[in-house]
Amino acid sequence: MHPSSLSPEALTRRAFLGRSAAGLGSLALGSLLNPALFAGDNGRWKGVLDQLHHPARIKRVIYLYQAGGPSHLETFDPKPKLAAMHGSAMPESFTRGQQIAQLQGTELKCYGPQFAFQRYGKSGQEICSLFPEIGSVADDICIIRSMYTEQINHDPAHTFMNTGSIIAGRPSMGSWLLYGLGTETEELPGFIVLMSQGRGGQMQPIAARQWHSGFLPSRFQGVKFQSIGDPVQYMQPPAGVTSADQEEIIDVVNQLNRRQHDAVADPEIATRINQYEMAFRMQTSVPGLMDLSKEPTRTLEAYGARPGDGSFASNCLLARRLAERGVRFIQLYHRDWDHHDDVAHVKYKAEEVDRPTAALIRDLKQRGLWDDTLIVWGGEFGRTPMAQGKGRDHHIKGFSIMLAGGAIRGGMSYGSTDELGYAAVDKPVSVHDLHATMLHLFGVDHTRLLYRYQGRQFRLTDVFGNVVKPILT
Amino acid sequence: MDLARVALPALRAFVIGSVGAFAGSLGIAAPAAPASAGATTPPAALSFNRDIRPILSENCFHCHGPDKNHREANLRLDDRDAAIADFAWVPGNPETSEAIQRILSTDPDEQMPPPDSARTLTAAQKETLQRWVAEGAAYEAHWAYVAPTRPALPAAAAPGSGAIDAFVDAGLARAGLPSSPEADRRTLIRRLALDLTGLPPAPADVEAFARSTNPEAAYARLIDQYLASPHYGERMAVPWLDLVRYADSIGFHNDVTLRYWPYRDYVIRAFNQNLPFDQFTREQIAGDLLQGSTPEQRVGSGYNRLHRISGEGGIQDKEYFAKYAADRVRTTATVWLGATLACAECHDHKFDPYTLKDFYSLAAVFSDLHEKGAYNLSGGFTRENLSEESLFTTAKEKSQMQALEAEIAALSKQIAAPTDDELASERAAWEARIVAAHQAGRLAWKPQPPLAARSTAGTPLAIEKDDHSLVPGGENPRHDTYIVTVAAPLTPVTALRLETVNDERFPGADVARAGAGFFIAEIEISGAASADARPTALRIASASANLGSEAGFDPSKAIDGDLTTAATLNRGSGGGFAFYLAEPFTGGPDARLTVRIRHSQAHPYQHLGRFRIALHDQPNPDPNPTGIPRRTLDAMLKPAADRTDEDKRRIAFDFRANAASLKPLRDRLNAARIARDDLYQRLPSMPVSRSVEPRPLRVLPRGNWMDDSGPLAEAAIPEFLGKLTASDGKRVSRLDFAEWLVSPQNPLTARTFVNRLWRLYFGEGLTRTVEDLGSQGDWPSHPELLDWLAVEFRESGWDVKHVVRLIVSSRAYRRSSVPPPGVEERDPLNRLLARQSRFRLDAEFIRDNALAVSGLLSPRLGGPSAKPYQPKGYYAPLNFPRREYVADTGDQLYRRGVYTHWQRTLLHPSLMAFDAPARDECTTHRSTSNTPLQALVLLNDPTYVEAARVFAERILRRGGWTFEARLDWAFARAVARPPTAEEAHLLRQLFEQQRARYRADPAGARALVSTGESPVAADLPEAELAAWTAVSRALLNLHETVTRS
Repeated sequence: MHPSSLSPEALTRRAFLGRSAAGLGSLALGSLLNPALFAGDNGRWKGVLDQLHHPARIKRVIYLYQAGGPSHLETFDPKPKLAAMHGSAMPESFTRGQQIAQLQGTELKCYGPQFAFQRYGKSGQEICSLFPEIGSVADDICIIRSMYTEQINHDPAHTFMNTGSIIAGRPSMGSWLLYGLGTETEELPGFIVLMSQGRGGQMQPIAARQWHSGFLPSRFQGVKFQSIGDPVQYMQPPAGVTSADQEEIIDVVNQLNRRQHDAVADPEIATRINQYEMAFRMQTSVPGLMDLSKEPTRTLEAYGARPGDGSFASNCLLARRLAERGVRFIQLYHRDWDHHDDVAHVKYKAEEVDRPTAALIRDLKQRGLWDDTLIVWGGEFGRTPMAQGKGRDHHIKGFSIMLAGGAIRGGMSYGSTDELGYAAVDKPVSVHDLHATMLHLFGVDHTRLLYRYQGRQFRLTDVFGNVVKPILT
Repeated sequence: MDLARVALPALRAFVIGSVGAFAGSLGIAAPAAPASAGATTPPAALSFNRDIRPILSENCFHCHGPDKNHREANLRLDDRDAAIADFAWVPGNPETSEAIQRILSTDPDEQMPPPDSARTLTAAQKETLQRWVAEGAAYEAHWAYVAPTRPALPAAAAPGSGAIDAFVDAGLARAGLPSSPEADRRTLIRRLALDLTGLPPAPADVEAFARSTNPEAAYARLIDQYLASPHYGERMAVPWLDLVRYADSIGFHNDVTLRYWPYRDYVIRAFNQNLPFDQFTREQIAGDLLQGSTPEQRVGSGYNRLHRISGEGGIQDKEYFAKYAADRVRTTATVWLGATLACAECHDHKFDPYTLKDFYSLAAVFSDLHEKGAYNLSGGFTRENLSEESLFTTAKEKSQMQALEAEIAALSKQIAAPTDDELASERAAWEARIVAAHQAGRLAWKPQPPLAARSTAGTPLAIEKDDHSLVPGGENPRHDTYIVTVAAPLTPVTALRLETVNDERFPGADVARAGAGFFIAEIEISGAASADARPTALRIASASANLGSEAGFDPSKAIDGDLTTAATLNRGSGGGFAFYLAEPFTGGPDARLTVRIRHSQAHPYQHLGRFRIALHDQPNPDPNPTGIPRRTLDAMLKPAADRTDEDKRRIAFDFRANAASLKPLRDRLNAARIARDDLYQRLPSMPVSRSVEPRPLRVLPRGNWMDDSGPLAEAAIPEFLGKLTASDGKRVSRLDFAEWLVSPQNPLTARTFVNRLWRLYFGEGLTRTVEDLGSQGDWPSHPELLDWLAVEFRESGWDVKHVVRLIVSSRAYRRSSVPPPGVEERDPLNRLLARQSRFRLDAEFIRDNALAVSGLLSPRLGGPSAKPYQPKGYYAPLNFPRREYVADTGDQLYRRGVYTHWQRTLLHPSLMAFDAPARDECTTHRSTSNTPLQALVLLNDPTYVEAARVFAERILRRGGWTFEARLDWAFARAVARPPTAEEAHLLRQLFEQQRARYRADPAGARALVSTGESPVAADLPEAELAAWTAVSRALLNLHETVTRS
């Protein structure tokens, strides 16, 4: 086999993917017989890619997922023309033949941006004045104003944003990354999800599908840390069982399993032993990790976090702590951006996310994590330039997201929507393009991270996706 | 059935490859030197299907295959004539074959596959292709698309061995591999019991089998026993429910729970009764269309309704019709045809001859189903929209239902009979009284300040001074009764209103402390005429609610004196129950009423959230907060001349709902409705198939549902598989389609099913890609055996138990899973079955096994889904409404995993940790991962901790008197074998250390042995019990315990 062949099968260990790894073809034989290719000392998965396709720029992603569909017109996309046309009919040339959600069958009227925009930083990036803190790091961020997506309702749109497919059962982006690149920590899952909720809008539900590994083995699933009860399900030993008791039992289980392994030589048993050891390490390290009370007051204030409040601010701070500990994909869902009734309520969102987002950026820079972290800030779609009462409806033809990190050109706006903020017209960026770019930064060619399922090679980007090179440093 | 002759002119005779002749394609290394894959030179003649098609399909068909719209250079390699015409192959002459030269080329511009395709051929593959062209470039039809015929058994089969062993042994012999001996009897019986029932064997059966002097006969009897066990059906249902994506919730957006479980029970019964698979197929695809279909068969037809559905606001019927249709095609094709059709929604299949048109033709087979696309607004989750049917009604229940419906119709008619004119004078008096009461400020309900409030569970009830409401706080107890005293200065008090106040602090539509609502078993009211007077009980004559109640939980249930019934209130703001006193109550200025709100024991935790008490002094006030619907009152306040028609209609309508002269009729109508709803609630029902006028369905270009330019699709089977004639001469029906699925002309159904059966008993299918028998599928390890089994299955009358029995009776099945020396290196994937496999139990069976070992398992079959313990806060991401999970009680906590409530968007985390799928989509096989989260589940999930402590209790009570005897007893149950001396030593150390530790910490011991709802064994020494709990936890965590070997 060619040494640089990137066929995932070739680098897959049966013990890790299990008996049902459909991708495990005859090509895997070589690696199965060659223990040197067996990944994962101590049970740590090192990924199917033995070598990257090109040098990596980043090691991790912090994805600040603004769930519900943030209005681009009240965040990152200034539209004076729309303001001028406020209240007048939306020109039919924009909307004819286009999909519409709740505004079906109603008269479509322009609805001007509800807040002023302001220029920030040396770059003079235009950002809604509700977000002065994000404005204060304007030179560090890149705003993509020409995103578009394909699904107009929350549930399928989330699924598309996370998995690149509208068919359920496909792996989420974090799962793909773990599968391809493995984890960097033995104490924590490589893909962690945190969730916070805001106020003032409609709090749309979020399915576990959004961080599921789909057809990839479930070891690549995102693990959701909870703000109520145990941070991780089943992390707490039973009542009356101390950590020492637990260690004792795990030790005996592992000794008994080791004897079984000696008898039947099943590599699954060796893996099981490693997993118990890792479980114990997680049990030991997670409570301290989640406890923000030891953070200096200065830091807590910078983020606006209060230990234990489960807020977006606290989660941003936790994200930094997870990043420090080698977690590969950290996804923070902040719910409640669904502003059908009153888009002025974006101001509540701004109160919740503006400061922590900027604090996270500054904190990463201070701690030397900036260069190899990618921050993504955005939702599943945008909102109509047309009014829905005082609010805006779901919108897929054009919206904004924000990227930041050492590998991203700061102070830059990329692409644009038309003069009314309806459709991405200049340099449109698809969800697949975003995924391709993210993989690219990890040193992965998105067309070559593959998993065989249902008779074909699947990838995160399906058969689409182009790396958005102009935004990269 | 009128099946047209299946014409397959393009398909040539199917030549079965000989197993092992080209062992390299199975990943079998040559005997002499372990070598990397593909390096082996094929010794025998090449077979297109086995040796060539996989290379072409994987590397070439994507651009040079069946999809005409994306064919590069107009060259296709899936068709021999076309490929030769284009000189891709020149038979006998690889040197002049263009395709071969391109494959061998190193010039990036020439090279095939192109360097940027991420596809490369190995040297061995290139060599094989050259040799194949040199030998004449012969093609074969894809094996799976030619109907199977029964192959002859290998000549060298050992006498007396069945077909399975004949084929498997022949494969081993050809490869020169030895096989493992039969597994030891304890391993074997545990394997058999787990495989057939999903439960461990009874220890007595293990001992009897281990000591049997006639193990052959004993083994056969065990097979009979397990196949006859009702738990067989539960075990078989699990993979089937994965395939058909059965769940308890709708899967999109708010993911509400609907009742689908009668279908789950149907599947369990079908397997237990060994319903022939052809009939099983007909009933699911078209049970409603069968002549004289039974309710049971119509439940089976619920298969067509199991896909995810959405009620998200702003979705469109048309888009979601398209989503559901595509889902049905993907699933049905994978379940019965072993085909992956998802891609054909947008374009012709890249590797198989399925076309875009075929996809929509299959969708059109189902276009007669009554359904909605958008289940929102008027398309909500109503019985009619869901096509729900009450099922399994007895003749008596049916006639009861009919009588009630007739009575409701008759009473409604009687109430409507008097004309508005006839009622005019009574209405005028009523109106005058209402208006006068309103003007005197006496119409609206008057909230009263609480004077005292307490709860039997000690819940603090904080008083909100602003609106006189009470807010429960602190830990939500399991059961609770609120006792509230309010001032009652009205003279007289005619009625009391229990008002809910929405509050963000509570989940469950904001009015209940947990779950989706609150349940009140009984309301009791007593009155005291003054602060010092003794309270006396006040009789409540009737009750009503302004927002309606769930069927079976109407307000009368709160005053019927029966604590087992309960009342609830639908969601919405301003909701309340009105309780009308039989005698108006009059006291002094400091009179007071005490209300006792007894929550339902059957709905633990689901207590009232924020609420207040209001009183009324008029007779029969409306249950709305204003005492009358606001808009009706506004209408009444207008001068008669200014009233619109709508105003008049409103007043007349509300009057009829209040007219004293109609009250007797109204009461009877209400009672009849309640009785009907109660009866309906008792009868299982679920969405089933109902045939209506077929919806026109178009081929959607690129799968775009907004594009109406495609032609109308006609119901049909995929074109290359033949042509189906409609039995009614007009349109291919679901029944026609089902008949074709199980006809001998269809080459795929029987193979697909037996291949998946095989996987249950060996861990892999004969074709490992159990989801795909197409061009990209895996070449079967034993093609003749697969065909033999498929034909046997069909000819046995689609007898599932027969095929299962054949498989588990075979010597191949009974082998030890420990490989014989040297075999692991040569056949690491165990494709030739020199040994059995070891694999981890599926999620549900890990649970079942632990509960069975501990003695906690409920053996009850069927019924509503069960809710075992689940971590707090897990449902926080759900909304509309917000929900808090409430675990069940009693034996419902210890049901088998197959009954666990399946919430698609947030599947129970312990099932998810062990790879159970969300069942959004058809799942043909689960991955089997091995993760730290699994360790955490087995260590810390209360289900497993409780199982361990109950197991410990049984060990102490029944395991004998010494540590050794007890450990033997425990091992026999956990792993069906005695411990080794070393194991016993390790566990004794653990036991002694833990006993010492718990002797010093009685509180810790008590806490551990109180985990879960089971009664605590108070008579046993706590430290002893806690230490055995530790040992039991170790046993339940062993790899061996969760593994079938």
